[in-house]
Amino acid sequence: MAEQLLSGLRVIECGQMVSAPYLGKLLADFGAEVVKVEEPGGDPARRRGPFPGDIPHPEKSGLFLYLNTNKLGVTLNLRHPTGQALLHRLCAQADILIHNYRPTEMAELGLDFARLQHINPGLIMTTISYFGCTGPYRDYQAYELTGTNAGGWAFLSPGASDHPELPPLKAFGHQADFQGGVHAAVATLGAYYHRCLTGEGQHVDVSIQECIAAILEMNFIHYTYGGRETSRLGRRSIFPWCMLDCQDGKIFLICVEEDQWQRLVELMGNPEWASLEIFRDRVARGQHYDALFPLLQEWAANWKVMDLYRAGQERRICFAPVNTMADLFASAHLQAREFFVRLSHQIAGTLTYPGAPFKVSEAGWAVHRPAPLLGQHNGEVYGRIGVSQAELESLRQQGVI
Amino acid sequence: MARRPLEGIRVTDFTWAWAGPYCTLQLAHLGAEVIRIESQKRTCVTRAIPSFADDVPGPNRAGYFNQYNQGKKSLLLDLTRPEGVEIAKQLVSKSDIVVQNFSAGAIDRMGLGYEVLRQVKPDIIMISICGYGQTGPERQYMGYGPASVPLAGISSLSGYRGFGPAEVGISYGDPNAGIFGAFAALAALAYRQRTGRGVHVDVALWEALLVLQPEGLMDYAMNNTQPERDGNRDRWMAPHGCFKCKGDDDKWVTIVCGTEAEWQALCRAIGRPELATDKRFADATARKANEDALEELITAWTKERDRWEVTEILQKAGVAAFPSMSNKDLATDPHLAARGYLVQKEHPEVGRRIHAGIPWQLSVTPCEVQAAAPLRGQHTDYVMREILGFSETEVQKLKEIHVLY
Repeated sequence: MAEQLLSGLRVIECGQMVSAPYLGKLLADFGAEVVKVEEPGGDPARRRGPFPGDIPHPEKSGLFLYLNTNKLGVTLNLRHPTGQALLHRLCAQADILIHNYRPTEMAELGLDFARLQHINPGLIMTTISYFGCTGPYRDYQAYELTGTNAGGWAFLSPGASDHPELPPLKAFGHQADFQGGVHAAVATLGAYYHRCLTGEGQHVDVSIQECIAAILEMNFIHYTYGGRETSRLGRRSIFPWCMLDCQDGKIFLICVEEDQWQRLVELMGNPEWASLEIFRDRVARGQHYDALFPLLQEWAANWKVMDLYRAGQERRICFAPVNTMADLFASAHLQAREFFVRLSHQIAGTLTYPGAPFKVSEAGWAVHRPAPLLGQHNGEVYGRIGVSQAELESLRQQGVI
Repeated sequence: MARRPLEGIRVTDFTWAWAGPYCTLQLAHLGAEVIRIESQKRTCVTRAIPSFADDVPGPNRAGYFNQYNQGKKSLLLDLTRPEGVEIAKQLVSKSDIVVQNFSAGAIDRMGLGYEVLRQVKPDIIMISICGYGQTGPERQYMGYGPASVPLAGISSLSGYRGFGPAEVGISYGDPNAGIFGAFAALAALAYRQRTGRGVHVDVALWEALLVLQPEGLMDYAMNNTQPERDGNRDRWMAPHGCFKCKGDDDKWVTIVCGTEAEWQALCRAIGRPELATDKRFADATARKANEDALEELITAWTKERDRWEVTEILQKAGVAAFPSMSNKDLATDPHLAARGYLVQKEHPEVGRRIHAGIPWQLSVTPCEVQAAAPLRGQHTDYVMREILGFSETEVQKLKEIHVLY
């Protein structure tokens, strides 16, 4: 196989759902060998879908198929002492162990770092949890929705809302979990660089709540600098910043700088109202949103989305189509950049997957194999640590794998 | 003192606004020396946006800049002058990583493109971040962070049931591209360590968000359809929501039951054990079918209680409950304080302010924010003299002709 950024890195993943599996995927898609350890019932992501025809099947869950490309898959019962012993043998030959079991469960599952370090002093163990491994909320039960609210994101979403009766809103999918995964990748590779220089391993403790609190733009400091508690309610302080209805769909528009607004006025054919004093700058336009929004909307209604997008962007005005999934698969830009990839899977068949998160001049992202079937690589992986076929059979009977 | 993981790594940081600075912030968090090159004529937008400390405007008083540039150094340099470009190249020659988030192609026109920097430093790692990427028919399009959310389909998937597509309250594409850029830089460091080679990385805000909504894209790939907007609800779990708490204030608490055991625990904890055997709520499928009624029942209970009281009662029963936190809640949170997440470093103009800190802890190489964000040009003399070896007179001369300030 061609050299990739992380070729040679050996990773054991005890991940479920999104955060640790996405960290595992990032490492695997850039060349690391990742062995995914699933409990005999399988990663819950196998039960999440989306499924073809909406019919659940553990080998056809879109979320699981996506999150586990390039990994080898084994099953292992971590609640069984023999299972833990096998995990420790796997870890003896690994550089990195990643998991997202709750801090309270770690010890009972054999994920005790002191013990693992005794087995392999160079091992890096990364724990992703909602509240971190220390502190008063350490043991709290949580899910994605909990994480995005605990980190302060949902309280700001959707933003510019005039519906105080509606709750804080999560963004689609598993954004908090994903952020936990990518931030953990940064911390883990930081620890790995240290290990390259010194041979030392360590424990990496990543808190999803803290990852989210770190990406609130200026909202965090609105309190600590300005004393203002911010929320999803209210208006944008500058305008235009909105979605508009075109003939065939919605378009997003944002004008940050004055010259962008001037070019927008030009594109609209220099209407007389645009020179009104109440629209003189972005803050004034924000204050007179009620007057300006209908004027913009009336004008945009004459356009088709893609025509307005191109006309605007060619004048360096920041329009963006409010894309559906169909729009994305049809995008000429994404096609030119070969963003989507086709991948065959033994049971789920050939599907088009989202591809590289970024491009690299050499040794970049690649997909070599689809997500593993449950326990697909038990023979190969356990064989490497000296488990014979007969032993495998006996482990199976004991319910260890 | 323990070594920091990236100690000895130097970053030339041409970034501005949010995506780029969020990338280099991670490298600073890990102990790299990050030198931000700032322009006198075109001040970073984040130095000009409120909130300012005590509402007094000033480039060194902006919380936005001070949040995302903690632990970095600042060199005030005019890159429109040939002498300025030359100094930047000298700094790159003494750096490991370069990060920039100008629009596609702009850095090449400045004479500081990857091919040029490679001549200066053959194993340089360069991270370029922009809205659409460095290639492709729309590469020159403007891709502000807020626009990347609708562009990536996240808006069409997010929103209250029965409402239109939603923005998601933050300019999500920016920090997300930044964190992917930081991951790329670290993966490239591992590669350089092994092979001695550098790389150029092209991060597009758009693609870096697309990879985070597979439930949407995979649904389309499988079924030619996409999930309907459904607020805070989940396809499988119920209850799964954010519920109003006591009083007229905007206070909410999230409650999620992911297993039958959690649901039964919830029924007991709210004093309604009979609900556990109620046919309408017998299993997750039934609860999904009767979710409106279910949410009404739960709201009736939460509406009588404080959000922290709800959290305590339900967490004690093993049910995932937690308040929807505001910025104030976070800045005053005892848990975040106990974990050392809230950072207050002395800053010459704004004193000690609380900032969001480092979202990870390393057991052997503890990461700590090294210093408050730099004043504009605070480290010009340090960089010119101690890193680049210019004399005091030479630096003075460059200041007089406004290459430096």
